Amino acid sequence: MAKIIVYIDDKKLEAESGKTILEVCRENDIEILTMCHLEGITDIGACRLCLVEIEGNNKLLSACTTKIAANMVIKTKTERIKKYQRITTELFFAERNHVCSVCVANGKCELQKLGYKVGLDHIRYPFLFPQCEVDTSHEWYVLDHNRCIMCTRCVRVCAEVEGAHNWDVMNRGNQVRIISDFNTPWGESTTCTSCGKCLHACPTGAIWPKDIVQGQLNKNPGMITELIEKRKLGL
Amino acid sequence: MSKKKLATVWLGGCSGCHMSLLDIDERILDVAALADIVKSPIVDGKEFPEVDIALVEGSVTSDEHLQEIKLIRKRAKTLIAFGDCAVMTNVTGMRNYFPLKEVFDASYKYAVSNDQYGQVPSHEALLKLNDKVVPLQEVVEVDFVLPGCPPSADTIFYVLFEFLNDRIPNLSEAKKLKYG
Repeated sequence: MAKIIVYIDDKKLEAESGKTILEVCRENDIEILTMCHLEGITDIGACRLCLVEIEGNNKLLSACTTKIAANMVIKTKTERIKKYQRITTELFFAERNHVCSVCVANGKCELQKLGYKVGLDHIRYPFLFPQCEVDTSHEWYVLDHNRCIMCTRCVRVCAEVEGAHNWDVMNRGNQVRIISDFNTPWGESTTCTSCGKCLHACPTGAIWPKDIVQGQLNKNPGMITELIEKRKLGL
Repeated sequence: MSKKKLATVWLGGCSGCHMSLLDIDERILDVAALADIVKSPIVDGKEFPEVDIALVEGSVTSDEHLQEIKLIRKRAKTLIAFGDCAVMTNVTGMRNYFPLKEVFDASYKYAVSNDQYGQVPSHEALLKLNDKVVPLQEVVEVDFVLPGCPPSADTIFYVLFEFLNDRIPNLSEAKKLKYG
């Protein structure tokens, strides 16, 4: 691949053409916040946390789905971006039930860590309190829609890595839900292999194993990335 | 420098934040050197007095809480939302998913512990629960938020000590931001 020059946060960098802004930033230790990105699976730009400013473009673009171009001038830490990151995080918290104190993921949650990162101390928007189901029909795992932020990492991991495509997405707006097969109980799924990759991919306490209690959840999304890398190498 | 007046209040919460406040242990002496605790669930007090700082634990769940918080807002120079319930309703807000009648019935009529023969209490002396639980900032202006369920004793002391010394604390910078 040809090398091109880009400028990120006033630093002149040489990067391989064809890479995304996010990839280039991570290679150069420039921090970009993400929720829906999981190394190895397809990026979809859903969470809007990785937004960056590009000179000559009024719109903020998602770093995970925008490829670099020669002489692109990119800013990742402007006040405008910080403002939007805080708003996005607050909206995550305001939509469904994210009561950390009674969540299995308390202390190990990517959403909670994101809140600390953007300095979220309270939520300026009214809570929506939507009715969300908790699916406990699977023998080992639970899907709690209350904690879901619709990053769809579970959907993509199931389809792309496990090849089962048990998960998908139903409806729009605040009615949007993750579904198993054709919106049937997870325990009755004919496609789920019970591999548990969705559980590790999930950044919050939305998917978790039944044998743990509050604050005891330990997830390892890096395991999925490792698996993908090993497959590429034919190990 | 004259001593400041400090109040701590317990609205719709579990008092865990107050327990955590007591966990500042001997540092309460440092607080006492700078402030008098004039109103608190742990001191005798009648009507809410004029104070410099009010630490308010819990969310607004009833008519009584609403009156109280409005009075506190009038009489406190600095109002601090103390703990997750005050800041974002937390566990107390989880009843907002259900109609109030269902919540009452589940707690009093159909609870396993009362053999299904319970009655919903309705004495006039009792406070009246609002349909929905709201955080403090939805009904009054809040000057500072101190989240956490509960906030750790260190964090509480840090916030108190900064305010008592006329500084504004910054939880993010002090790396003391925490919920849950």
